[in-house]
Amino acid sequence: MDRNQITKWLKEPAKMANKYSLHAIYFCTGCGIIEVPPVITARWDAERFGIIPVATPRQANLFLITGYVSVKTLRAIIRTYEQMLEPKYAIGFGSCPINGGMYWDSYNTIKHLDKYIPIDGWIAGCMPRPEAIFIAVTHLWTLIDKDMANGYIRYRENYEFYRRNQEMVLGKLNWPPFYQIRDNVKAVENE
Amino acid sequence: MNESVKEQLESTFKAVVVTIPEDTQIVVNVKKDQVLPVLGFLKDRRFDHLALISCVDWIEEKEFELVYILARYMQGDEEHTYQERLNLIVKTRISRESPRLETVTGIFSNAEPYEREIHELFGISFESHPRLTPLFLERDYEIPPFRKDFDTRKYVSDVFDKIPFIQLEKE
Repeated sequence: MDRNQITKWLKEPAKMANKYSLHAIYFCTGCGIIEVPPVITARWDAERFGIIPVATPRQANLFLITGYVSVKTLRAIIRTYEQMLEPKYAIGFGSCPINGGMYWDSYNTIKHLDKYIPIDGWIAGCMPRPEAIFIAVTHLWTLIDKDMANGYIRYRENYEFYRRNQEMVLGKLNWPPFYQIRDNVKAVENE
Repeated sequence: MNESVKEQLESTFKAVVVTIPEDTQIVVNVKKDQVLPVLGFLKDRRFDHLALISCVDWIEEKEFELVYILARYMQGDEEHTYQERLNLIVKTRISRESPRLETVTGIFSNAEPYEREIHELFGISFESHPRLTPLFLERDYEIPPFRKDFDTRKYVSDVFDKIPFIQLEKE
């Protein structure tokens, strides 16, 4: 263990434990998922960084969105994100979730994923190298230390806006709101 | 081999135009009411694998072109020469104003998803198709999105770009 971090461990043990044991949901979106098998297996070995892929979103707290997001995939992404455990972190991987990438004028691919779910960090590139995932993870550690990886808190506080954007793309959602919709926020929006 | 298929087709059907662009390709241009008999005829002559149905939008000629690509299943116990590996391409044209065509699922049952896809992306309705329901798309489009007069940039700026970014409450 790094001796410099002992004070951090004594002060906030839960946060430090969380930080070094990220459980990534194995959700295959787009073409970037081809980078994930070498990352989690022997070649690059993500367990050095405490990342392990898990089977279901109910065991996960790290969400890698690895490629373009079609409208149909967005529905699955929202449902997956809402089922994950807090504190949860979402990372957009590749240029397509950032601004559409090469699908910037596609009829069925959403651009700007952060309009629909909160994203804590982006990895640019098409495709990023597997090492970029580890750089992103070390950045995520820094953000967690500084309490800046607060996507799930933003989602809770601005849920009305996220839900409105989701309904603008997907139509009427057939699942109940994840958080309570506050009437005063909705009213301000309607004016 | 190519020539014999060509002769058989031309002697059986009157209005087909058969061309051979390559050694392993035969292109058959047929009228729209001849698609079913030609495909049935070819299926009896061991072109029993429908590889693909594709659609081309010739907007200036105001026609859709349906392309059926047939091939042969390789029989494991037979020796096949290179000449026998034929791709047979059946093309037909239908008008753009009333895009309707008879389904070929009666002959090749694997045509069902291909025809659903073409129905969804080009808006061609296949008559007596068993279930012509949406396949991929989640949204409704005024013009089917693979037609040439569908303006993707306008659609994107009207729909996806109109969605606002999240304005954080606490800044």
